[in-house]
Amino acid sequence: MTTEQQSPGQQAREPKIRLDKVGKTYPGTKVAAVEELSLDIHEGEILVLVGPSGCGKSTTLRLINRMIEPSGGRILLDGEDVTKVNPDKLRRRIGYVIQQIGLFPHQTIAQNIETVPRMLGWDKQKAKARSEELLGMVGLDPERYRDSYPKALSGGQAQRVGVARALGADPDIMLMDEPFGAIDPITRERLQNEFLRLQGELRKTIVFVTHDIDEAIKMGDKIAILGERSTIRQIDTPERILAYPVDDFVDDFIGTGSTIKGLNFLKVSSLALTDYPTLEPGGTAEAGRAALQDTGREWLVQLDENRTPVRWIHADGLDSADHERGEPVGDLLHSQDTLFHALELMVQSASGETCVVDDAGAFVGVVRMADLAKAIRRAQYEARMHYEQMERQS
Amino acid sequence: MENITNWFTYVNDNFEYILEETINHARIVLIVIALATVTSVLLGVLIQRRPVARAVVLALSGIVLTIPSLALFALFIPVVGIGNPPAMLALYLYALMPVLRNTVTGLDSVSPAVVESAKGMGMSSTQQLLRVRLPLAWPVIMAGVRISSLMTVGIAAIAILVGGDGLGSYIQGGLTRFGLPNSENSVWAGVVFTVLLGLVLDIAFAIFQRFSTPRGLRA
Amino acid sequence: MSDAAYGPAMNRVDTQPEAVPEPDATATSSAPPATRRARAIRTAGLWLAPVMIGLLALLFFFYYRGLQADGNSTVISALDWGDKLLPQTIRIVYIAFWSTVIVILVAVPLGIVLTRPAVRRISPFVLAVANSGQALPAYGLLVIFLGIMGQGRFTVIVALSLYALLPVLRNTMVGLDGVDRSVIEAGRGMGMTKMQALTRIELPLAVPIVIAGVRTALTLNIGMATLAFLIGGGGLGITIQTGLKLNQDPILIVGAWLVALVALSFDWLGAVAERVLKPRGL
Repeated sequence: MTTEQQSPGQQAREPKIRLDKVGKTYPGTKVAAVEELSLDIHEGEILVLVGPSGCGKSTTLRLINRMIEPSGGRILLDGEDVTKVNPDKLRRRIGYVIQQIGLFPHQTIAQNIETVPRMLGWDKQKAKARSEELLGMVGLDPERYRDSYPKALSGGQAQRVGVARALGADPDIMLMDEPFGAIDPITRERLQNEFLRLQGELRKTIVFVTHDIDEAIKMGDKIAILGERSTIRQIDTPERILAYPVDDFVDDFIGTGSTIKGLNFLKVSSLALTDYPTLEPGGTAEAGRAALQDTGREWLVQLDENRTPVRWIHADGLDSADHERGEPVGDLLHSQDTLFHALELMVQSASGETCVVDDAGAFVGVVRMADLAKAIRRAQYEARMHYEQMERQS
Repeated sequence: MENITNWFTYVNDNFEYILEETINHARIVLIVIALATVTSVLLGVLIQRRPVARAVVLALSGIVLTIPSLALFALFIPVVGIGNPPAMLALYLYALMPVLRNTVTGLDSVSPAVVESAKGMGMSSTQQLLRVRLPLAWPVIMAGVRISSLMTVGIAAIAILVGGDGLGSYIQGGLTRFGLPNSENSVWAGVVFTVLLGLVLDIAFAIFQRFSTPRGLRA
Repeated sequence: MSDAAYGPAMNRVDTQPEAVPEPDATATSSAPPATRRARAIRTAGLWLAPVMIGLLALLFFFYYRGLQADGNSTVISALDWGDKLLPQTIRIVYIAFWSTVIVILVAVPLGIVLTRPAVRRISPFVLAVANSGQALPAYGLLVIFLGIMGQGRFTVIVALSLYALLPVLRNTMVGLDGVDRSVIEAGRGMGMTKMQALTRIELPLAVPIVIAGVRTALTLNIGMATLAFLIGGGGLGITIQTGLKLNQDPILIVGAWLVALVALSFDWLGAVAERVLKPRGL
């Protein structure tokens, strides 16, 4: 089992949620459904529990709001032991979203969203204002949807309402059990993006369960990969897990293409760009040849008046009077783009090399395939160093 | 305890006659159920895909059920005279609804994809019905038959009031001799054997359902 | 469930657990046109029914008038409105009403208890008994209660309550069992207590099926109230019986017709109640 080492600053901070040797063994069974599990989740972070089906990840999630009573261990929220408090009151403090959504079909959408606020004794006006606000927040027009019933909603809309309902009383903590699992891929993608945008504003502490590693990579600030009986096989940031799966189980689970997925977490700005000879607009063939000779390359980049790259020109083509000499440079990269995007452009381009421009569109340099390979190796090296250092410390 | 041994003695002494009335009772029920099943399945197939006819027929067959049995029996007397016929006619009408409704539900529940692929293989609509839709709907239809059978067994006990036969005669016999020796035994014999008959028929239909259901659909 | 409205009460006798459609969260926003048309027909049926019942009542009225004009004294005295028919009709309604009230008061709480996790295990057994109870002959049950409680309408009411208990109990259990677990789970997950989940989610969602059971019970009760005369409970059964004894078809027809009118009217009331009490949104 691997637990991530926090930096000193983080260590001092109290975790929002702490599971302390929490486990579940059903009466009459010998094998634990969830082995003793210790886990810290920090404020404002999304922790994704991911693992093969039947590994107990949902059970683990449901232990946190005690939908399933743990058979041992302690659950602490903000340092407060909630293992013995009234479970119903506990759940009113925690947002809960499930795959089947579970909207109340006999209540209007507004009534659904106001459920927890009303149970907490908010007055009607305040609850109503809140439900209007939340409908807007999840992108549903309050005028139109407030008084309609869940049966009028599509699957994607229903889950928006599900999320709004979970946010009803503005809980600090949200538990989400495969919330987008039953939704078609296109809508799912949209909901994921909207949810991440929302989370950017709300900074809730979220535990998110999924069986889909890609969703985990996309949604998670941190990912816990769970094996049988919910044992943590690896817990870390998505980039480090992709760069350095600690064992075969994790490696198998994240599957092929993990290296390429890892490129999503690296930015063009992290690369040392290769310098390339350029040719100013109206520059002569001689000027071009001189630049090529200085750098010892065969191709140069033709710029326009804004210093934006337009075409690749080969040494042999310099003399051609044709305005259309050489090859077009294709799409350009910016420094904030991911290396995944860079790879995509490179694969498409004829030369296998792609130009990078600054915010003003001026040429900065070129990314080559070898730069990506180098970046990946560096990420893998750093991740391995991180784990080796942790091992030495313990 | 004494009452119970007493009752068993009574049943033992009169077993031949009780059995005879049980058989009469069963005959009424089985004839009614057979006719009602054939009618309902045919009707069900006809109306299943016609929303208007379907709503009307189902509503009417249900309304029949709300008319008290004695009244319905009595209403047929001027038409067919007294005895078993008015009772059987009324029971037949009662028995239609559960089978009809389940036939329609059963046919509804056949996956459109299965029918589509049957069609795609070139089955005619009759073939689709006989080889795909009805076999798949069969368990649900039989569930309806079982409901009708239980209901009919219970109601048929009233046939005696309009001159029919069956186990109701033991209940009536007990009532007319109320207070006299063996009157309660007679009533209990009527009730117990009616319920037993209901159970036996239900089990028989359950067995029939099992063996007439395509293997892949058996629970 | 969606086709409540003017569907007859007995529709729901066969509400098999598997026939209860799960309230689907991934909504079907628009029903296919055929279904919508059928629903429109049923709604129309709800409005049309009183008209049809009124027509039957009118026919009855003319038939009854005709009989009096015929001047057969036996028939006229057996069918005296103020002395015979009206009190007999009231008696039937009285018996059916009170036994239905008792049934609801007993069967619904019992059904709730029997679906709680602690006793859930025995619920299949109860349902099986409730199922085979359908073969119980109402006639026999009345006579058995006569032996226990003696003659009179209260005996009838008690016997009926027992007889009609089963459909309501059964439908309460099936209705509560049929509530989508994920909806309850969502409610509990938001911090509803078990009691809140029951009263705010489970019961409202089970209402349509419970009411269907109550309609069935009402129908059974009216049917059995017609037999009340057998054990001295009175009611329109007396008139039917008189017709049978005297071999007078007109008396028979008037008695039976009136019973049918009462039954149809109450079934319609049940249908209206079902429509009104069904939670919106279902």
